[in-house]
Amino acid sequence: MRILLLCTDAFGGHGGIALYTRDLVAALAAHEECEEVVVVPRVIRREPEPLPPKVTFLTESADGIASYTRTIARLRGEKFDLTICGHVNLLPAARVLTPHPVLFIYGIEAWQPRYRAKPFLDSCGAVVSISDITLRRFRDWSSFNCRSYLLPNAIHLDEYSVVPKDGGRRVLMTLGRLAGKERYKGFDEVLDNLRALPNDVIYVIAGEGEDAPRLRRKAKDLGVSDRVVFTGFVREEEKAALYASADVYVMPSRGEGFGFVLLEAMACGIPTIASKHDGGREALRDGLLGTLVDPTSPAEIRAAIWDALEFGKRARPDGLEYFAFDRFVERTRAIIDDVMRGKQ
Amino acid sequence: MCGITALFAYGSAAPPVNPVEVERITQRMFARGPDAGGIWLSADARVGLGSRRLAIIDLHDEASQPLTDAEGDLTIVFNGEIYNHRELRARLEKRGATFRTTSDTEVLLQLYRHYGGREMVELVRGMFAFAIWDAREREMFVARDPYGIKPLFYADDGRTIRIASQVKALLAGDAISRTRDPAGIAGFFLLGSVPEPFTTYDSIRAVEAGTAFYVNESGRSDPWRYASIASVLEYAESQRHIARLVPPRVLLRELVTESIDYHLVSDVPVGAFLSAGIDSTTLVALAKAPIHTVTILFDAFRNGEFNETREADEFAQQRHAPHTTRIVTRDEFVSDMPKIFEAMDQPTIDGVNTWFVSKAAAEQKLKVALSGIGGDELFGSYTSFSRIPRMVAAVHTAQRVPLGSRALSGALATMRRTNPKTKRITTYGSTYGGAYLVQRGLFMPEELPSIVGDDVAHEGLQRLSIVDHIANVLTPAPSTPYGRVAALEASLYMRNQLLRDTDWASMAHSLEVRTPLVDASLLRQLAPVIVEHGQHCKYEFANAPEPPLPQSIRARHKTGFVTPLKEWMDLPPDGTSTRIRQWSRIVFEHFR
Repeated sequence: MRILLLCTDAFGGHGGIALYTRDLVAALAAHEECEEVVVVPRVIRREPEPLPPKVTFLTESADGIASYTRTIARLRGEKFDLTICGHVNLLPAARVLTPHPVLFIYGIEAWQPRYRAKPFLDSCGAVVSISDITLRRFRDWSSFNCRSYLLPNAIHLDEYSVVPKDGGRRVLMTLGRLAGKERYKGFDEVLDNLRALPNDVIYVIAGEGEDAPRLRRKAKDLGVSDRVVFTGFVREEEKAALYASADVYVMPSRGEGFGFVLLEAMACGIPTIASKHDGGREALRDGLLGTLVDPTSPAEIRAAIWDALEFGKRARPDGLEYFAFDRFVERTRAIIDDVMRGKQ
Repeated sequence: MCGITALFAYGSAAPPVNPVEVERITQRMFARGPDAGGIWLSADARVGLGSRRLAIIDLHDEASQPLTDAEGDLTIVFNGEIYNHRELRARLEKRGATFRTTSDTEVLLQLYRHYGGREMVELVRGMFAFAIWDAREREMFVARDPYGIKPLFYADDGRTIRIASQVKALLAGDAISRTRDPAGIAGFFLLGSVPEPFTTYDSIRAVEAGTAFYVNESGRSDPWRYASIASVLEYAESQRHIARLVPPRVLLRELVTESIDYHLVSDVPVGAFLSAGIDSTTLVALAKAPIHTVTILFDAFRNGEFNETREADEFAQQRHAPHTTRIVTRDEFVSDMPKIFEAMDQPTIDGVNTWFVSKAAAEQKLKVALSGIGGDELFGSYTSFSRIPRMVAAVHTAQRVPLGSRALSGALATMRRTNPKTKRITTYGSTYGGAYLVQRGLFMPEELPSIVGDDVAHEGLQRLSIVDHIANVLTPAPSTPYGRVAALEASLYMRNQLLRDTDWASMAHSLEVRTPLVDASLLRQLAPVIVEHGQHCKYEFANAPEPPLPQSIRARHKTGFVTPLKEWMDLPPDGTSTRIRQWSRIVFEHFR
């Protein structure tokens, strides 16, 4: 089986979708019937990670729209058993290559109508969603009513460890892009509550983005700037130390399709607080793995933080293995097998 | 849902609490809670609590009130429902709390113990009015829900505070002065209901919605406002980016469905009031299982636009919902009138319709019913949403132009014959508070002397300061016209009229009415959407169910829940189409 995967970024990419796509590629390549996975990225931002076996990574497609178009045109002459479209915006390109691509959706990119993609949706062979909330919201505008699957994020548990916290001030942490437009991660909601928390509690905002200056101003206006740490961009190799310093991971967000960072925090044994009203609910398995809060309720956020600081245990929650990478591989295989049966 | 009583003789010179008085007050509220009743007196007789219980959650005797917690030093009387009590219980159990019942009442006690009064009121999702006696600190904590769905009144003579769910119950204790309050009387004739915190009695005040206070041996603390509709709407204006993440129809579906799920938390069957309007039909459509629906028809409206039974019946059939249509005849209407006035706690020009639909639901053995109240305030269905901003803009414009005000007055003169309020537009219409008075007002301040006499009118108007009173709910003021009118309607008309009337009219039939669209948590989550999309939300709301509401309901002209007072009470003409001004005079006669 030859699989073609069109994606925004994967190897050499940043962010949640790139990470998810790398895991997907590895899972596809692990399928015993897979001969080759050809990955076509739109962008490559840095030195790509080592490729799994059976993977062909076409770097020439990432050199601008013209080279991407040339690559797509060239691939029309090749035969693939399955074409995966890794982003709704790439659907027109995928449709050029196959009548029935399998579309992957993640979060806010699939929550609002995408009018350029909509004409191509009816021909999709299947849709794979990172979460139920994304699938429901996608179905609403797309009217897509065919085969669909859930494939939540994976966590490589062996790459994380639970490190005891070595005293010092108590640390709340949120890691994510400080997006100026969407502002849905919940940084504001935690900042709003910081004054009501004990003075030894500080808040680490980990990540970079155009919203950082506004958040800094807000911290100053609230009189808590001495209790807020902005780390700026966090490299992968810095993450472990960052998580090790945190007492509570808190993300009262409203726009997460899933929230991979929640899995990372839990894998590091940090008591985790997420939102009832976005994909965080699914990452915490409806509250089994951590505490869910209404992100619009300051009191709920405060109470959850107090409880986590006072009673939280530094340990991986039972049930986190549900998201282990080997489970992801199994789910991917089951989805691919089902899609292929459908094609026959 | 209950009727509650709390007395605290906090002053050292106050006589001990008289259990007979507690009993009298509590028994006056028998219809609010026919399932059980109880009185609790502290060992030193400084505190007395009473309750009549309508059992909805945890029907066992152990959950009856007044309820003391396992530790023995916190005792509560509570009226309402805590819809997120299971989540809160789970959270409290992680903190080591132990419970003797599965009731939401005990959850409140443990919340108080673990988080304190100030935090606990913000953690609960529901409708509530309660008093907790804390024997450790020798203080009483009193709170009422953010919207004011559940009533709570108090009389504080400086030595003893008396608290109850109803004004008439407090009076039944025979220990409170019955001196009239001109401000409450003026408020009734100006707005059609008595605006809180006033009542028609000088000694009795409402615990304001969204406030709480403590009482200890030093007396009553200043109440603090822990929730404000205006502040939610004002804050939402900085949250519009959230509204753009998801189409409004989808968010409405998700959030209202969640609210309905919470409002269906019950150990007894839950029904629903159904009209042919968008709000009640959408609620029924979004409920995950068919609900027994009840529609009433006043016989006088059998032929005409107020007959909603056909559409309601068709809709219920489509949703496979058990449905009851109840016809109210003139004879029944007239014969129920004395009972209606007996149940009416404070004078009000509305509530008769709710009396009959509640009666119909109770006849079907329903103990709980959902109502679509709140949709108009959220989604801007009232004409006030367009008229008030237009009025303010027009008066402002006229005031800036030489002789503009005079010209505007002249233009309005042509309408004076049909609406006595119109000529006051130039007097009051320059502010949102004043424009609201003109829009919602029953009588204008200038008319009061002829109704209640010079002295009562003068003192009442002075103490009430009606325009300032209205404007105060806009603190902080939302910056958009839509946000301002939404805050005004929800904080005044809905709170003082719709919700209060719903309470007395339903409780008289031992029926608990729940309002999924009047929910502080829902408002917080929806506020960015309604600020961003305004009245378009109503259209989106009608499209929220899958499948969307039928066209016959979506396209139906909004008629309101009208009562045939004009037709059946032989009211003389009064310049209004419904003769509601005449009706207010008749109502007031029963409260003299």
